[in-house]
Amino acid sequence: MVKSVFMVAIVVVCLVGGFSGGYLAASMISSQGSNGGAMTFTDDQGRNVTIDGYPERIVSVAPTPTEMLFAVGAGDLVVGVDGYSDYPVATENITKVGDFELNIEQIVTLKPDLILSSDLVPTEDLEMLASNGIPYLVIADETINDVFASIRLVGNVTNHAADATALVSSLKARITAVTNITLAAGVSKPKVYIEYYPYWTFGPGSFGNDLIKLAGGKNVADDQNNEYASVTDEYVVAKNPDIIVYTTGAYMPNNVTEIVSRPGWSLVTAVENSDVYPLDDNLISRYGPRIVDGLEQLAEIVHPELF
Amino acid sequence: MGKQAGSDDRFSRIRQRRVGMLLLLLDLLIVSVMLCVFIGYAGMSVSDPLIVQIIGAIRLPRVLLAGLVGAGLACAGMAMQAVFRNSMADPFIIGVSSGAAVGAAAIGMIGAGIGIGGILLSFTQPMFAFLGAIITVFAVYKLGTAKGKVHVDTLLLSGVAVAAFLGAMTSFMIFVANKQYDILAHWLLGSLQATNWIEVGITAFPVIIGILIIFYYGRDLNVLLLGEEAAHNLGGNPESLKKTMLAVAAIMTSVAVAFTGIIGFVGLMIPHMMRLVVGPDHRMLAPASVLGGASFLIWADALSRSVMMVPVGVVTALLGGPFFLFLLRRKKLRGDGE
Repeated sequence: MVKSVFMVAIVVVCLVGGFSGGYLAASMISSQGSNGGAMTFTDDQGRNVTIDGYPERIVSVAPTPTEMLFAVGAGDLVVGVDGYSDYPVATENITKVGDFELNIEQIVTLKPDLILSSDLVPTEDLEMLASNGIPYLVIADETINDVFASIRLVGNVTNHAADATALVSSLKARITAVTNITLAAGVSKPKVYIEYYPYWTFGPGSFGNDLIKLAGGKNVADDQNNEYASVTDEYVVAKNPDIIVYTTGAYMPNNVTEIVSRPGWSLVTAVENSDVYPLDDNLISRYGPRIVDGLEQLAEIVHPELF
Repeated sequence: MGKQAGSDDRFSRIRQRRVGMLLLLLDLLIVSVMLCVFIGYAGMSVSDPLIVQIIGAIRLPRVLLAGLVGAGLACAGMAMQAVFRNSMADPFIIGVSSGAAVGAAAIGMIGAGIGIGGILLSFTQPMFAFLGAIITVFAVYKLGTAKGKVHVDTLLLSGVAVAAFLGAMTSFMIFVANKQYDILAHWLLGSLQATNWIEVGITAFPVIIGILIIFYYGRDLNVLLLGEEAAHNLGGNPESLKKTMLAVAAIMTSVAVAFTGIIGFVGLMIPHMMRLVVGPDHRMLAPASVLGGASFLIWADALSRSVMMVPVGVVTALLGGPFFLFLLRRKKLRGDGE
């Protein structure tokens, strides 16, 4: 008994000793020199983030900020990206820093001075990086205007403000070019069902919903409660969409043969008329500059007679 | 000296050998901590200040939390096995981990709605996890016992059913909160990713206290193994002891789950292995499970963050699933499945 008490004492001492020692080590490291030129930016989560001068080494841990960085011409600053960042092609040769779980140690060894993230990366991972002296900005967009604001933010942070402004203007011009046609008076509004995963669709408040509207269609799922809604065979057959769009990509098992052979779907107008079309998932699920590519392609699908 | 084989002498030699094993396990733990602190993506050159930073701020807290959680889960598993008088009990299999997960997920969701976050959430999450865990453990206990006897099949089935129900509740919450799906999916898999010193501190206190309480009741747990009646005859109060042990096991499980998510099978595997090493006496088995559990999870996590690059819960399940089936099969063949 005495011995086991003794052993308990040893375990406790080891754990407590290690704990306080490590804490000291952690608190000593967090002070780092500044090189002046401090700037403060507000990210999409309303956080005020101060960085020392324009970043020279950026790690982007989500595809959307990666695409924004390259689109504003700051791709040469990117020293690391997450495994899902596969666009543009230049990302192939950039160090990958983890996919399902980020490799925090690896990111720290890349010595970045800024992290760009989306809101799908666990906050605790980002906080861990911040506590190691690497600030982070979160890009989280809900509307097309948010996308423009985020592109400007990425431009301002990387000293590519002019490029970002030019990009935003050209994206806006392209959107207007589409909507001038699709939203003109007298243009029909076909009923559209977009499936980004078998039986999952975009509800109100989602990008998919906005894109259908801008493309001159009516989202059949605009009565759903969720931005991302799951639906049934009955629901789709009852809604009877004129056009069905399914997304294609690495994680998307959808295919047209499977969709048209679902029970009851042969009654759907879109299936009867063979109006079932694929669309690159990355164009409508990543809220970056390519969202406009997604809109243009969707508009052509919804209104083939106008383009 | 070796030839006088009085039975007292033999017992004391066995005892000595077992204490020796405990000391070996302690050595193993210390070596594990020291080695695993130097295993990781960034390598180990201590001369590089960046590596020193990585070890101090990223790796060491992770290794220590792995140790604490491993020790807590193994000790909780051992206590449950004693209370249920069944070697198949484990916080994960009985559904306690899932109960803790529901509690933690609920406050995570509600917290996001009413603005609880950061450090405040770090403190409230374990409490809600505990609430979920304690309700589950007593529900399963009630469901699995009839007339004071635990029926293995009923117990395991109750655990499975309750865990499935709780899993569905967690899924439902994820579904309702649609946007945070990815973050919760991460958390449900059981991972030691991004462990900070605050989490280590909050976990250390209840786990160490819980371990000490279970050590203190080591003798009583032995009596419990003899059965309800024998325990009464020996002057114990098995019912209140059982409740205390289940509560302590629930506390340790819930703190672990609150910060790391569900890490299964540690509480099943480790006490079993330790029984082979130090025997069934809980005064030996408890410290052995603590030391063994800590070492095991430290190595499992080192594997998870350096070689396999998957959450540690996946590693323990890959090892633990087959182990569980092996035990079940062996029990069936021996015919002592009660």
